[in-house]
Amino acid sequence: MSKKNLAMRVSIAIFAIYLLIALFAPLLTPYDPFIIAGGIYEEPSPEHLLGTNDLAQDIFSQLIYGTRATLLLGFTGAILSVSIGTAIGIVSGYYGGRVDEFITRTLDIVMTIPTFPLLLVMMMFFTPGIYVTGILMGLLGSARGVRVIRSQVLSIAQMNFITGVKVMGASDLYVMAKHVLPNLLSLVTVQFVFSAQHFMVMGIGLGFLGLGDSNVIDWGQMIDRAYQNGGVINGLWWWLIPPGMAVTFLSLSLALFGYSMEDEINPRMKLTRI
Amino acid sequence: MEARYLFKRLCYCGLAFIASITIIFLLLHFMPGDYVTFYLLEISRTTPVEVIEHYQHVYGLDQPFLEHYVNYVVAVIQGDWGYSFEYRVPVFPLIGQKLWWTLMIMVPSLILSTIIGAVAGAWSGWKRGTKGDMALLSSMLFFRAIPSYWLAIMGLLVFSCLLGWFPLGGYMSINALFSGYDIFDIIHHAALPILTTTLLSLTGTYYLMRNSMLMTLGEDYITTARAKGLKESVILRKHAARNALLPMVTMIAMQCAHLMAGSIFIETIFSWPGMGMLTFNALNMRDVPLLQGIFLMGALILIAANFAADMVYPLLDPRVEESMHE
Amino acid sequence: MDIIRIKNLNAGFPTKRGLVRAATSVDLTIREGECLGLIGESGCGKTVLGMTIMRLLQPNTIISGEIFYKGQNLLALKEEEMRKLRGKELGMILQNSTTSLNPVLSVGDQIAEGIILHEGLRKKEAREKATELLEKVQIKNAAVMSKRYPHEFSGGMRERAMIAIALACSPSFVIADEPTTGLDNRTMKGVISLLAEVAKSKSMLFITHDLAAAFEICDTIAVMYAGEIVEWGDVDEVFSAPLHPYTSGLLNSLPERGFIAIPGSSPSLIDLPGGCRFKERCACSEERCARAHPLMKEISSSHKVRCHRYD
Repeated sequence: MSKKNLAMRVSIAIFAIYLLIALFAPLLTPYDPFIIAGGIYEEPSPEHLLGTNDLAQDIFSQLIYGTRATLLLGFTGAILSVSIGTAIGIVSGYYGGRVDEFITRTLDIVMTIPTFPLLLVMMMFFTPGIYVTGILMGLLGSARGVRVIRSQVLSIAQMNFITGVKVMGASDLYVMAKHVLPNLLSLVTVQFVFSAQHFMVMGIGLGFLGLGDSNVIDWGQMIDRAYQNGGVINGLWWWLIPPGMAVTFLSLSLALFGYSMEDEINPRMKLTRI
Repeated sequence: MEARYLFKRLCYCGLAFIASITIIFLLLHFMPGDYVTFYLLEISRTTPVEVIEHYQHVYGLDQPFLEHYVNYVVAVIQGDWGYSFEYRVPVFPLIGQKLWWTLMIMVPSLILSTIIGAVAGAWSGWKRGTKGDMALLSSMLFFRAIPSYWLAIMGLLVFSCLLGWFPLGGYMSINALFSGYDIFDIIHHAALPILTTTLLSLTGTYYLMRNSMLMTLGEDYITTARAKGLKESVILRKHAARNALLPMVTMIAMQCAHLMAGSIFIETIFSWPGMGMLTFNALNMRDVPLLQGIFLMGALILIAANFAADMVYPLLDPRVEESMHE
Repeated sequence: MDIIRIKNLNAGFPTKRGLVRAATSVDLTIREGECLGLIGESGCGKTVLGMTIMRLLQPNTIISGEIFYKGQNLLALKEEEMRKLRGKELGMILQNSTTSLNPVLSVGDQIAEGIILHEGLRKKEAREKATELLEKVQIKNAAVMSKRYPHEFSGGMRERAMIAIALACSPSFVIADEPTTGLDNRTMKGVISLLAEVAKSKSMLFITHDLAAAFEICDTIAVMYAGEIVEWGDVDEVFSAPLHPYTSGLLNSLPERGFIAIPGSSPSLIDLPGGCRFKERCACSEERCARAHPLMKEISSSHKVRCHRYD
C-alpha cells in the first residue's frame, strides 16, 4: 500500500468514526447532555468518563453530541460555499471576456472585505441557530474558491472538445453542466473537503467566542465554558482538553484526506519530453 | 512607476473601502429592528419610547435611506466612526489605540512567518520526495490543521502553566505598577502570542511556497539553467526561488486576513489588549458601533495590504509592466 | 577525430504503465567539425538522445552504454564534473524558446551567467560580451535589447537568444533541439542560416523534424524511429537515395514530393513490437521482418541502414 493510499484510507477511517458517532449519538451517551447528572466539577470516574461541568452535566455525553454540531456546521458551510464558488467560477471562466473581467474585478474588491468580522457582526445581531450559522459562513466564504475553479475552467474551455460540442448546437448551460463541470469534479471535491474542515474549525471558534447556538451542544461552547470557568488555572483538563482534541483530530483527518487527493490532481514536475 | 498605474490602484482602494462601508451600512440598516433599539432594550426592557427615539435621532436612524447613507460615508471618511456603547468613547480613536498592540503581534508574525515559510517551502520543493521534505511537509500539515484557539490554549497550558517559561497572559507583569514600563517585560509577554501566530501562518506560507516551487521547477528555463552548467544552489536561488516567490506576494493580503481573524482568538486567550480582545469584548457587550468600526478597520488593513502587494509585485515581475501602461 | 562517440546507448523511463524505451542500442559518431542531423517524428526519442548526452534527464532514468566526448565517457563522470562541461564544452539550444527563458531576468543576464561562471569574467565584462553575442546572432540594437526581458522579444529573437546562450562560452560541441518549432517561414529561414554559420565552426547535433532545414545545414543524417537509428549516412546520399522505407516515406511526405503520408502511427515506446519496429507501416515488409530484429548494416563507408532488405 503506497503512502498516499495509506494516508487516504486512514483519514477516511477516522472521519467515518466521527460520522458514526454523530449519527448514533443517543445510543452512545450514558446521559442526556443537558440534564443534571451528578455533582458539579466532578473529576472523571466510571460513572462520568470525563467528569461533569459547572452545571453538573456529563461532559462525555456532551462531547459525543457535539460531533453533530461540528459536522453540520462544516458541511452546511462547505456545500453552500463550494456551490456558489463553483458556479461563479464556471460562469467566469467559460464566458470569458467582459463577463470574466467584471466578475474578476468584483471579486478583487470583495476580497478586501474582512469576512470574519462581518460574520461576527451578523452573528451578534441575528443570534442565529446552527443551520443559519452554517449558511452564513458558507455565503461569506464563497469567494475563496472562485479563483482556483476559474483558472481550471479557463484551461478546459479552450480545449477542442468544447468547441466540438458547441458546434453541435448545445446551449451554454448544457456545455457548462455536462462537459465543464465533470472535468472539475476532483478539484471541487478537494475544495469541498478543505472548506468543510475550515468551516468546522470556524464554527467551533464561533462557539468559543460565545456566538454559538445555546440550544445545541458544540465543542466550541464547551471549550469556552471550560476556559471561562478557569479551566487553565484550575487544571480542569478533563473539560478543557477533550473538545479541543476532538476538533483537532477531525480537522487533521479532513486535511489529510484533502491533501492526499490534491496530490493526485496537482500538475507534477513535468516529465522530460521525448 | 507609472503615475497612471499608481492612480488606478489608489482609485481602486477608495472604491474597495466604499464597498465595505456600503456593506456594513446596508447590513445594519436592513437588520430587523435597528441596533440602537436593540442595545437599549438589552439594557432595560422598560426603556421609554422617547429615549429610544432620542438615540435613534442621535445616531441618525430616523433619516431617509439615501441621506443617511451619504452622511454615513462622509462621516466614516472623515474619521467619525460613531461612539462605542460600552466604552463611551469615539470608536475610531479607540480602535486606533488598540491597533498598535495588535500590530505588535501581527507584524513580527507576518515577517517571520513569511521568511521562514518561504525558505522552508523553497527547500522542501527543491528536495521534493526526500525524507527531509516528507517529514517537514507532514509536520506542517499537522500544524496547519490545528485550530488557532486550540494551539493558543495548548501553548498557554504547556509553556506557561506547566513549564512556566512565559507569563500567563497580559502585556505586563504586576511589577510594572511599581517599576514602570520595561520593554523586555513586554517582549516576554508578547513572545508566546507572536510565536503562536507565527506558527499558524507559517504553515500556510510554507505550503504555498512549496507548491509554487514545484510548479516552477517543472518549467523549461530551469533545464536551460542546468544546460549552462550552473551550480545547483545558484539555480535554486536565482532562477527557481525568484519565480516561485511571485504568487506569494499576492497571497500576503490573504495572510493578513487570516492573521486578523486569528488575532481575535489569540489575543483573547493571551489577554493581549489589542483589537482582537476589543472584538471579543464588543461581542460580549453587544457593542454594535464598535464592531462596525472594527470591521471598517479590518477593511482598511486588507486594502492596505493589497495595495502594498500591488506596488511590490511589478518590481519583481517585469512582465507586469505592460499592463501598467494600460 | 571523433568528438562524440555514442556506443550502444539505451535509455528508458520507468512509468506506472511500464518502461518507456526512448533509446535502443544507439551507435553514433560525430567527427570534429561535422554537423549531424537527427531526424524523425515527434516522440521517436530524438530529444531524449540530446538530453542524454548532456545528462539532463530525470534522475530515475535508466541509462546504459557509453557516450564519449573527446575520449572521455560522459556517463561515467560524477555530476560535479559533468556540470563543469555543460555550457563550457557542451552547449545546448533547448526546444521551445518561449518557455526556456527565465521571465524575470533580462536576456543579457541570462547570457552573461554562463560567461561569469565558466570564464570568470566580472559582471560588467560579461554583460559586454553578452551584447557582442547578441550582435553575432543578428539581433539589432543589441545593447538595448540585452537589458530587456524575454517577453519583449519576438519568437525569432528568442530563438536567437537561445543560440547566443548556447554559444556564450564557445563550446566545442553544440546540440540544437528543434530550433525552428513555432516560427514562421521567414523567421525560420533566418534562424537556419544563422545555424548554418555556427555549424561551420563547431561540431553540431541538429535535432529536427524539418527535413529541408537538415538538408541545408547538415553534413550527415541519422534517421530515428521508435528509439532506434534506422539509417545513417552522408546527407546527399540519404536524401537522393534513401535506403530505409521510413526515410523514403519521410521524404515523400514533403509537400514538394507529393505530401504522401506514411500510413499508421509510430508504436508506443512502452509496448514495442518484436522484429522490425517499422513493419506495421512498411509497404514491403516480409515474413522475416516480423521474426527477426534487423541489425545496422554498413552499405558503404558513408551509408548505413537497419533493414532486412539489405541483409
